[in-house]
Amino acid sequence: MKRWGLIFLVLMVALGAHAATQSTAQTIIATSLNSAPYSDAGTVASLPVSTNVNIIARQGGWYHVRLDSGQDGWLLMTSIRMNSTSSSSSGSSWGFGWLSSLFESGRSGATGVTATTGVRGLNTGDIAKAKPNPQAVNEITAWSATPQQARQFAQQLDIKPVQVAYLPQVKGAQP
Amino acid sequence: MNMRACLGIIQRPLALTLMLALTSCANVGGNGVDLNSLFSALKNVKQAVKPADQQEEEQIGFATAATLLGAAKPINDPAVQDYVNKVGLWVALQSDRPDLPWHFAVVDSNDIDAFAVPGGYVFITRGLLLHMRSEAELAGALGHEISHVVLKQQLKALQQAAQLNLLGAAAQFELQQHGQNTQLFNNVANATRNLYSKGLDKQDEFEADRMGVVLAARAGYDPYGLLAVLQTLETVDPKSNGMQLLLATHPAPAARVAILSAEMQAGHMDRYGRQVEGTRRYQQMIKTLVSTSTRR
Repeated sequence: MKRWGLIFLVLMVALGAHAATQSTAQTIIATSLNSAPYSDAGTVASLPVSTNVNIIARQGGWYHVRLDSGQDGWLLMTSIRMNSTSSSSSGSSWGFGWLSSLFESGRSGATGVTATTGVRGLNTGDIAKAKPNPQAVNEITAWSATPQQARQFAQQLDIKPVQVAYLPQVKGAQP
Repeated sequence: MNMRACLGIIQRPLALTLMLALTSCANVGGNGVDLNSLFSALKNVKQAVKPADQQEEEQIGFATAATLLGAAKPINDPAVQDYVNKVGLWVALQSDRPDLPWHFAVVDSNDIDAFAVPGGYVFITRGLLLHMRSEAELAGALGHEISHVVLKQQLKALQQAAQLNLLGAAAQFELQQHGQNTQLFNNVANATRNLYSKGLDKQDEFEADRMGVVLAARAGYDPYGLLAVLQTLETVDPKSNGMQLLLATHPAPAARVAILSAEMQAGHMDRYGRQVEGTRRYQQMIKTLVSTSTRR
């Protein structure tokens, strides 16, 4: 477990050297940079709209970010927007370093997720002229899990069911 | 009161309950138990106890699933398929329809999308799996699709489109007589091609987001996974081929993020923000997809 973490860290550091793998975002509202991922944690800095941040990690509804000044802290997930990329790659979005590294080590000329999109297309036209394949429906049932298997699988990560109420619909929550 | 009508009101009977119910039904006439009627009723138990609408839903689901799998076939990676089925069923077990025959499949496309099919089928593209970081994100995306099934949104749209309410009775009769129904199948296939290339009502998508995060939280995952996926999709060029179908059939990711985050805040979902992320298991399980995705 520790070794995987170390390999992951080394990969992230190595990939971090590439400008293309920086995970950058911008604040979309004026917000406070907190010292911890809680709303009542202390404020490290007050950030105006359109402040550049680099994403380090996510914990629940919070991102751990670093400012260009080197200062770090926590921002509400929805107070920032990831910077778009010019391609269909998500390799520049935080947390995908492991994926990019697999591509780069495995195939020449294939870099990041970019290489995968559009290779086998599935667009509206493909759906509109789909020819039914009933045999495939029968085939996928071979992979189905039983409730017992699902429960054992959850237990492997020490996951337990939690009672959670359904959410209220928020009127007028349009962007 | 005939035997059939009596059975129709029994849902999910235990064997004993069934026998007692049959006995009491048969006794209605006051002549004791008629064994012939009882055996004949038992032969039909599977059909009789299943509400007609669920039987129809399963027939529609089969035809819909067949049509979608005709556009993108399942990938041949049993380990990944097994993994997605276990995560998916675990999330589905927390829903209001835990007893549906849930079947999950990863389909062979590098474009980004997922599909919910009546009767308990959920398909997700390899492309979407490669745009997620953790099991909590997968649970959120599958939770969204499971919610569509639970809410019967595609089912209602397909029924409306194919006017299946009118066809239903005749179609089922034909199915019972011949064991297959090409008329129903073809109607559903046509309705599927239309619905799944145009999409549901936007409000249905927001509702599935709202329920999906709750199912992920009930399953013990960090419920912000779906929000993270939607934020990732915001970074993908909307003009790229990989996003064409998703954007043609769903509200823009930014709109979904804005609405879902407001609802999660109103519901105090931050209480569950420290639940399981499952990053290591996810990345371990899906890394085999990377090598197959670059094959042309």
